[in-house]
Formats: sequence, C-alpha cells, structure tokens
Amino acid sequence: MEFVASILDLYLVFVITYFIAVNITYTIFLVVSYKEILSHMRHNLFSNYRLLVQSELTPTISILAPAFNEETTVIESVKSLLKLSYGTYEVVVINDGSRDNTLQRLITEFGMFKSRRIYEPLIRARDVKGIYRSNLPEYRNLVVVDKENGGKADALNVGINIAQFEYVCCIDADSLLEADALQKVVKPFLEDDTVIAVGGIVRIANGCNVVNGRVVDVGLSRRWIPVFQVVEYFRAFLSGRMFWHGYNGLLIISGAFGLFKRSAVIEAGGYKPDTVGEDMELVTRLHRMKREKREPYRIAFVPDPVCWTEVPESLRVLARQRNRWHRGLLDTMLIHRALLLNARYGVVGLAAMPYFVMVELLGPLFEFFGYFVVLFLLVLGALNVQMAILFFVVALFYGVMYSVGAVLLEEISFQRYPNPRDLATLISFGILENFGYRQMTVWWRVKAFWDYFRGAHAWGAMQRKGFAGAKARMSA
Amino acid sequence: MRLEFFILFTLALAALFFFVVASIALVVRKAIGVQRQRGAKRLYGLYSAQLAELLLTDLPVPLQSVKSPSVHQQYEALLTPTKRKLSQLTLGRKALHREALRSVLIDLAGDVVGEAAERLAYFFSSLGFVQDELILLRSKKWWIRAQAARHLGSLRARRAIPLLTVALEDKDPGVRYEAIQALVRVQGVESLSAILRVTRRLSRWRAIELSTIIMQFGSAAAPYLIKALKSPDQSIVLFSIEMLAAIGFVSAVEPLRALLQGYPSSVVQAKAAEALGRLGDERAEEGLLKLVGSPHPHLRLKAVEALGRIGSPAAIHVLLDHFARGHLGERIATARAIAALGPAGAETICSLAADEDELTRAVALQVAEEHSLDIGKG
Repeated sequence: MEFVASILDLYLVFVITYFIAVNITYTIFLVVSYKEILSHMRHNLFSNYRLLVQSELTPTISILAPAFNEETTVIESVKSLLKLSYGTYEVVVINDGSRDNTLQRLITEFGMFKSRRIYEPLIRARDVKGIYRSNLPEYRNLVVVDKENGGKADALNVGINIAQFEYVCCIDADSLLEADALQKVVKPFLEDDTVIAVGGIVRIANGCNVVNGRVVDVGLSRRWIPVFQVVEYFRAFLSGRMFWHGYNGLLIISGAFGLFKRSAVIEAGGYKPDTVGEDMELVTRLHRMKREKREPYRIAFVPDPVCWTEVPESLRVLARQRNRWHRGLLDTMLIHRALLLNARYGVVGLAAMPYFVMVELLGPLFEFFGYFVVLFLLVLGALNVQMAILFFVVALFYGVMYSVGAVLLEEISFQRYPNPRDLATLISFGILENFGYRQMTVWWRVKAFWDYFRGAHAWGAMQRKGFAGAKARMSA
Repeated sequence: MRLEFFILFTLALAALFFFVVASIALVVRKAIGVQRQRGAKRLYGLYSAQLAELLLTDLPVPLQSVKSPSVHQQYEALLTPTKRKLSQLTLGRKALHREALRSVLIDLAGDVVGEAAERLAYFFSSLGFVQDELILLRSKKWWIRAQAARHLGSLRARRAIPLLTVALEDKDPGVRYEAIQALVRVQGVESLSAILRVTRRLSRWRAIELSTIIMQFGSAAAPYLIKALKSPDQSIVLFSIEMLAAIGFVSAVEPLRALLQGYPSSVVQAKAAEALGRLGDERAEEGLLKLVGSPHPHLRLKAVEALGRIGSPAAIHVLLDHFARGHLGERIATARAIAALGPAGAETICSLAADEDELTRAVALQVAEEHSLDIGKG
C-alpha cells in the first residue's frame, strides 16, 4: 500500500510540475504571439497587395485542389478558385479516382478536352489517366488531372509534378479562399528569398454567409460544436502557430491552405502518401532536410484571414477528425523522432519537437490519467479535497486565460467578428469548454493512440453540408 | 493548512474573477468601438460629399497658372465655410471631424490629378495637416513616420521635401521606402536617380512596388535605368534590366547586349537575355545563339526562350540541334521557341511530331497543341 501511495505521490509531483510548465509555456505563447501579430500588422500597414494583380514581376502560382467524390460542390469550388485576384496562376484539380461524376461534371461544365500535355514525374505517384484542358479562353488557366485513387497526399504529388509554376498552393477541394488570399500568402516569399513554405490561417465558415464561393458576412454558427472549434482554431493559429513562426519552428501548415516553393517540395520528395498527417509530416521533413543540408531557410505563417473551411457539426464526425489529427501527429513524431532534443536541428529539435511531443501529443494522456488518479484517490479516501479544488480552480483560470487571450488576439488584430454579441459568445465558450468539451477531446485523442498502434490508418469519412447547403462527402 | 488553502483559493478565484471582468470589459469596449465606428463612418460620408463638391466647384476667376497666388486665395475662399464650422465645434468633436476630413483628403488624393490634385494639396496644407504630418515624421515609432511620409507624398506636399530627403536615410527600411515613394510623387522622375543610387538589396516585393512607380514614368525613366545598369548592387541591375524590357525601350538593346556578353554573373546574363527577347530586336540574336551552348542551364533556357520571341528563322538550326539535348523542361522550351519561328518553325514541329523517338514525338505534340498546329497537314 505504501508503494502505491509513493507512486501516486510521485505522479502528483509530476502532474503539478507538468501543469506549471505547460501553463508557463502557454503564457509565453500568448505574449510572444501578441507581439508577433502587432509586428505583422505594422509591417503590412503600408503594403499595397493590389500591385501583385498587375505587376509582371508577380511570381506565378499553381493551385492544387485534390477532389474525391465531390460532384455536388466541385463546380462551385473551381469557379471560386478561378476568380481569385492575383497575377498569373493556374488551377490544377486532381480527380483522385472519384467513383461519382466529379470528372464528367468538370469536363462538361468547363468545356475540357484530353490534352497531349506531358510532364516529368519528379515525385513518385500513382498513374495519371489523363490531363484535361479547356477549349474556352476564360478557363485557360484550368487543368484537370484524372488519376487512380491514391489518397490526398498522392493526388497532391501528382499535382506538384504537373504544376507549371514556381509556387504550389495546396488546398482542400472545399477550402474557400478569400479573393486576395494568394496576394497575402505570397508576400513572405517576395520579402525573403529563403522562405520555402507559408501557411495561412484557416477560419471556420459554419455560421457565415457564403455567396458564390466567398464569405460575405462573418458570424457564428447556431450550433455549439462549431463555436467551440472557433475558440480552438484561434488558440491554435493565432497563438500557437504565430509563436512558432516567430522562431522558425513551425511544424505544421494546414492542409486546407499552404503555399510552397515547388522546387523545395520536390527536393524533399513530396508528400508522404502512407500517413494521415501528411501536411505536418511534409513541413517537418522540410525543416529536417534544410537543417541537415545547413541551408538557410524559413517557414512562415500569415495570420491574415485567408481561408475558410467547414468544420464538423456532430460529435461523431468531430471525434473522427480529432482522432485522425492525433494519429497524424503521433506518426510524424515517430517518423522524425531523430530530431527530438537533437541540437543539430536547432529550435526544431530543441523546442518545437519537445513541445509537440510533451504537450500536444502526450498532454491528453497525462490529463486522462490525472482524472483517473483523482477518482482512484477519492475512492480510497486519500484525496486532499482542498488541494483538488484549488488545483481545479487554478486549472480553470489558466484555461480561461488562454482561451480568452486567443480571442483577444483576434480582437486586437483582424476583428472579423463585427458583432459584440459574437465576441461575448466566444468568450463564454472559452470558459464553458473547460466543462465537458475539453474532456471529450482528451478522450478522442487518447483513443487515437490505441487506434494507431492497432494499425488503423484510415482518414474516416467527413460529412459536409456544403457551403451552398448541398450535401457532399469527402474522403480519401 | 486551512488558512493557507483559504488564501490560495481566494487568490485563484480573484484571478479568475479578474479575467471574467476583463472579458466583459472587452465586450463593452467592442460595443463602444462599433458605435464610434458608425459615427466616424457618418462623418467620413459627410466630408466626402462636401469635399467632392469643393473639388467640382468652378473657380470664379479662370486659371492662368495653378501656382499663382490668386488661385490660392480662391481655394481659401472655397474652404472658409468648412473652417468656420470646424472652429465652432468643441475640442473633442473638432478632433473627430478633423480626423474624418484628413482621411477623406488622403483617400481622395489617389483618385484626382491635375488642378483638382493641386486644390486638394492646398486644402491639406491650409487645414494644418501638413504641419501635423511633419511632426509625425519625427515620431519615435517607425510606422508613424512611414505613414506620415506616405501621406505627405500622397498630398504632394512640397514643403515636406527637405524632411522627406532626410527620411531617405532613416534607420528603418519601411520609412526609407515610403520617403522614396513620397519624393517620387512630389518631385517626379528626377528623384529616380537618387532612388536607384541609394537603394540596396532590393527584395522582390520592393521591386514590384518600385516597378509600379517606374512604369508610370514610362520611357522618361529609361536614362536613369540605363545608368543603374552599372550599379554595384546586383539586385538593382536585375531590376533595371527588367524595367527596361517592360518599358520596351529599344535604345536599351546595346547596353543589354554588353551585359549579355560581359557581365560576370550568369543570373544577370539570363535576365539580359530575357529582356532582349522581350524587346524582340534582331541585333541580340548573335549573342543569344552563342549562349544556347552555355554551361548554365538557366542561361541556356532564357537564351532559347529569347530566340523564340525574336522569331528569326535563322535560329532554327541551332535550336533544332539544341532540342536533341537537355532535360525535359529545356526540350519543351526549345520546341516552343522553334514553334514561334513562323511557318518554318511550325513545319519543323510537325516533322518532329512524326519522329521515331517517343519523347521527341510527345514534346512536339504538346507544343503543336499549344500553338494549335494541325499535325495532319504538317
């Protein structure tokens, strides 16, 4: 019994130390992100992005949009992409072996014909069945690629092979880009030649008014699950990614929207097709490659609102998404474990990787077992109730501080939620998420360990309502 | 233990309470901010209409010169009612109104030219905004200095030239760049000499910004750009080459040919090749044909593309010879260049489309499709 008690004591000491360390980290994140966002805003105060639309010096971009069974939404999405405000760019839609009429709908709608275009397969990927171009002059910058099904990563690799231009913008087929998204996200490349990848902020479109593929009114969903996710996205993007951007330690660029130097991605070997976290894995590999070659590089993040996405509205789908994200994180950390605490990889090895392993990856496990230990001690009658209450209040304080801090970052910067009521709702949800929602996400992420080690590598279907109210399914 | 717990618990609760109160304050602040924005928007609309009217009003005396004092007197007469209204306001309201007026003047400055621009510049000065901006140009915060420089440039404030010239050597690059742009607006094309002389390590972003200014001047900027081809800074040389090609200044062919043949960097040579191709002058052909055999792939590629743009059929044999070598991208570029050489080039592509080599055939078929060449007829 004494042995169990001493183990529990040790565990409690660990939990308290961990708790303090994590919350200090979060506080530093908030402060640094605040400074970074202010600096970004001041830096771009005088930027005239419209010049990029007219200038001959504007770099060319290939937008890569993988599509799998998207027949209901693909036309609207592609039309929206073709209307972006930018200089020279092409839209490459990669039909990843859809079993519905995705390809036929594209061919009919855009007057496409099978082209004789050839390409160099610089990255290994599944076979291409055909490359289609349009007869119509207004769709000259549209290319549709038909290929065998191989998943999102494989589709993107094909897109990178076929892309004609200097930069590739990898998006989800259902991502809604702001008209000036490319202008904003290309700027870091133009200011610094060593930039090889830039991630854009992804915002939640549920509750927003979407017209012709553009978000025209920003608002919050009436359902509670998307609102919790808005607060989570603020924390992840405005605080987390902004912090790592400041120290060139950004390990993830969201698959929904990222711009890469094509030559760098080819040099790294493209996306890894057999992982569910292909976006994070590629970015980590780019860090690794550049650091091993001792080449100067930078991976940046742009906090301006550029991309909107639909998030799950049901717990079942959300659970699947979080489970997949966590399996992707675990996979990436295992693949690149050589970087962990390795001084050769600088800030990535000594700070970013330890943070992602200890806080993002293992955090849910520690929290989950913490709840168990409390219950166990309560049953044994060994729980110091006063200390437990105190711990809970302090944890609540930090949770609220971090959530409210992230909402504050949005409020001091971009203010995309114009209604004060939305702000009040977001703050309230930042407090409420500590009572139930947080614990649910912890459980889904803990379950991801079990699923990963028993060999589950599926993406899982993502039920989407579609921005125009249409129903569509997306999976790969 | 109980007392310690009580103290810690109270402290934690107080911190939590503080955050909740701060959050409520944030919401209240936002609500007030929304109200203020509505007010500012209303004032902006009011002054937009008022200033548009002032700009459209005919002057009682026809203009002889926009710089004559009598014109300024007439401008002043137009502005007097607005000034009178401002003087009757309380200090707080006056500040709000002046801010709206200032914003409208700055926003309008980008849309007007000629006499209307002179009139606007006078209003800006007469209302004391130039003086305000000159004070801001000395601010400790770089973004305020940069903004002041931008505003002074937008409103073509000649009084600001000495201070803007000083700002060319500001410690912050953002301020320096805004000062450059402001001086261009105030002084015109002559300022390019100083700009191209003092600018170093021009990023692609800054190049895009600067190119917009230069394109406004057109061929008037060419002498300054030709001079800048001798800059010790390679980024300025590359930029000048690009701009000469964009302007289409044919007299630049000789200096560009000199760069093509003698510049020590292949990056600059490639840029010169590209520019010569865009200018389409056959005098460049000889030098470009030599570079098709360069050991630098990017230089070879640019030379091939330039030959295609110039379109002289004499290049066909060299290009055809080159087509057999190089990687896929280079072969496609060469085929495109051949296809651009008129009927002889088209015929060559058609014959390549029937070649025994599969890759040659594929490349030729792709280029034929791009140029809408009928292979059957070829």
